[in-house]
Amino acid sequence: MAEMSAEKYLADVELAWCPGCGNFAIRTSLAAALAQLGLPPHKVVLVTGIGQAAKIAHYVNLNGFNGLHGRTVAAAAGIKLARPDLTVIAESGDGDLYGEGGNHLLHNIRRNVDLTVIAHDNRVYGLTKGQASPTAPRGYRTRAQPAGSPSAALNPLALAVALDAPFVAQTFSGEPDRTANLISQAIQHRGFSLVNVLHPCPSWNRVQTFAWYKERLVHLDETGHDPGDQGQAFAVATRSGEQIPVGILYTTDRPTFADGHPVLSGDPVGLRPLPSSDVVRSLLATFS
Amino acid sequence: MAVRIAGAAGQGVQTLGEILARALFRSGLYLHGEFSYHSRIRGGENAFTLRVGEAPVFTTTNDVDLLLALNEEMLDLYRPWVREGGVVVTDEAVGDPADREVRVPAVRLAREELKLPIAAGVILLGTAARLLGLDRERVTDAIREVFGDKAEPNLRALDLGYDHVPNGRWQLPSPQFKHGEAMLLTGGQAVGAGAIAAGCRFLSSYPMTPGTAVLEFLAMHAAKHGIVVEQAEDEIAAINMALGASYAGARSLVTTSGGGFALMVEGLSLAGMIETPVVIHLGQRPGPATGLPTRTGQENLLFALHAGHGEFPRYIVAPSDAADAFYLTMKAFEVAETYQVPAIILTDQFLVDSYVVVPALDPARVPVHDHHLPVEDLARMETYNRFALAPSGISPRTLPGVSEKLVLVDSDEHDAYGRITEDLEIRVAMVDKRLRKGDGLRAEVAPPEIYPTGSLRGKRILLGWGSTYGAIREAVERLGAGYAHVHLRELWPLRTEELRHVWSEAEEVVLVEETATGQMGRLIAGETGRQPHRFVPRYDGRPFTAADILEAVR
Ligand SMILES: Cc1ncc(C[n+]2csc(CCOP(=O)(O)OP(=O)(O)O)c2C)c(N)n1
Ligand code: SF4
Ligand SMILES: [Mg+2]
Repeated sequence: MAEMSAEKYLADVELAWCPGCGNFAIRTSLAAALAQLGLPPHKVVLVTGIGQAAKIAHYVNLNGFNGLHGRTVAAAAGIKLARPDLTVIAESGDGDLYGEGGNHLLHNIRRNVDLTVIAHDNRVYGLTKGQASPTAPRGYRTRAQPAGSPSAALNPLALAVALDAPFVAQTFSGEPDRTANLISQAIQHRGFSLVNVLHPCPSWNRVQTFAWYKERLVHLDETGHDPGDQGQAFAVATRSGEQIPVGILYTTDRPTFADGHPVLSGDPVGLRPLPSSDVVRSLLATFS
Repeated sequence: MAVRIAGAAGQGVQTLGEILARALFRSGLYLHGEFSYHSRIRGGENAFTLRVGEAPVFTTTNDVDLLLALNEEMLDLYRPWVREGGVVVTDEAVGDPADREVRVPAVRLAREELKLPIAAGVILLGTAARLLGLDRERVTDAIREVFGDKAEPNLRALDLGYDHVPNGRWQLPSPQFKHGEAMLLTGGQAVGAGAIAAGCRFLSSYPMTPGTAVLEFLAMHAAKHGIVVEQAEDEIAAINMALGASYAGARSLVTTSGGGFALMVEGLSLAGMIETPVVIHLGQRPGPATGLPTRTGQENLLFALHAGHGEFPRYIVAPSDAADAFYLTMKAFEVAETYQVPAIILTDQFLVDSYVVVPALDPARVPVHDHHLPVEDLARMETYNRFALAPSGISPRTLPGVSEKLVLVDSDEHDAYGRITEDLEIRVAMVDKRLRKGDGLRAEVAPPEIYPTGSLRGKRILLGWGSTYGAIREAVERLGAGYAHVHLRELWPLRTEELRHVWSEAEEVVLVEETATGQMGRLIAGETGRQPHRFVPRYDGRPFTAADILEAVR
């Protein structure tokens, strides 16, 4: 596919994100990834939920389904099942994807619908003014958790690896080229892909700042990590300490939802014509 | 003529009921078969009550002419409902030999002759069939249809039972229709068939009785008819998946009951906001909460109407019988698609599970059309605005990926393109646009059915909606002069003008509804200022019979 200019994917609208927010860079990386793949905008659907991250649907030139908070992956799965001919990307915040929508994430990894899920992980609920998200560390203080969050942080990477998600990666918004690369690989990978994008939220998260992340990143492609090894991937995902792994943690190739499916192997159901009267009459004949 | 087959769960009541229904259907007779059961897989009480008629039958009965009791408990429970001159068929080991039942050594014969203990039920059915005056061939056909390649031992069982009595006790009416002129199906199958006929291409649902019947029907026909059917992880996923699929071009259905619908409520509101069609089959059962999982009721009327935050138009139908369920399901899809609104099909356990013979269904009665903007028209547009401010409120709709035009929908308030906005003038224009669709919708709704036709002046009206149709109709027929039946099958938008007229003519309006509080009365009062004068409630989880209504009204 011909590479396109990333510009054409970016909508010329006012962006309502705070200055210094990681979301700007993620938007640019997404556009760069789509340009790399040469995907025509009208063949891509960007599905988002609600949150600061989720507003990205309005800031790009793509088809968009900006649905409910937490239901991003469910809606995306419906779109993909109706239209396997389209590239479907589900993109939202950590609260949306891992909190309110956790169940849909779990079950669509299990289904292995060919989706790319991009999680904007700022460890807070940005839009609702900074409460702890599921990825906030234990003890993280906010106005809603004044004594510190009493719960352990969710580890989305370990979860995805444990569920045998076909593509699991993590990246940092402050490394836009690497991020673009990972997104484009995730889109190309058959089956469910998760890209967890760590990003600073200068308005609410004063702990995990740009500099904080920078000091801790470890690039997996420089450590000899083998993404084909699920045990290694799980070990990397669960390694405790100060290091934060970025890059591809895990890839595998397992049957997708569509493989061998009696209906999905045919024309997309979203484009099929209304049934002919003969077909309907043959169905009704079974009642007589 | 009425028959009841009763036994414990696991004794095959449903299979026996289906064989008997098919045999009568093959004999050219109309029938209604009500399946009533406890929420368990083994034990408990299962009963199939079958009425036979020379014209369509849409209601069940308390009394029967023949009781086939598969165990002692069912014999004791249902014997009081056997009419004078009726017959009880049981196994020889059941009940008291002194009583005048027809006692068949079914268990012994099944064990010794057939080496198939489960076939005892078919032996008893054979005896019952003979007594009813059914042709052996018709029952043979029915057994073949139900058991397929496992029919052989059951055919022998049939003969053992059939030959146990020397002759019939009743004579069945002559055939009322020829093959192909009528159909035998359940309300659940009718909803499923209506969905397929209307071009449904996607179903995502989480199992919940009685909604599951539709899920299973579509799952069985999915491969042949090109429908993606998926069991969702929960009802929230179900409706959001359906909306995604519908946005992408697939006519979509979800099926559930009250509890599952409660979980779908935010999604329903999303459908209203993004103006994306979806059809919701809501099979009612008594609540609150889990309620009575396998029983029937009409408690979700106001819930279906008011569910969903914010204000947006919707279409609600409540089929009166299986044929109506087929046509109204087709119409629900077509209306949802035309107006880009959610449509709700309000059924109940009684309608979904009952077998009924109806005049052959004709899909041409509800024309279905493709409502998408032609791609040529799109090519001529500079930009495509998914939510263009159309006078009818219906913005021309296209799908993602069929042209270079992008399609953006948003659960936030949005502008004509679909982009999030906080411009309050646009907000007001969008609310007005969405609500304008209500005017067109109102014109789609047929007026309430009035029986007998003619003036209502001075009459007592029995008012009902949905599956109580057959019971009310029969009650009104038996009450005779001075009574009329007014029935609603499309509930929202409400035809207020005709209802006002009913009140202004009638002597008295009696609401008959399977609730404790009379929800339709409150709805009509809110919309027209007119209240029912009396209310006949039922909320024990059983369907109304004509006899129940007569007793309450007289
Ligand atoms: C059902 C529902 N519950 C709550 C909200 C309020 N809400 C909007 S966004 C949000 C959290 C956003 O956090 P996240 O998904 O991490 O996105 P971020 O703003 O951090 O990018 C919440 C709780 C909502 N819109 N819908
Ligand atoms: S609240 Fe945080 S995440 Fe949201 S835009 Fe502002 S800085 Fe970014
Ligand atoms: Mg967040």
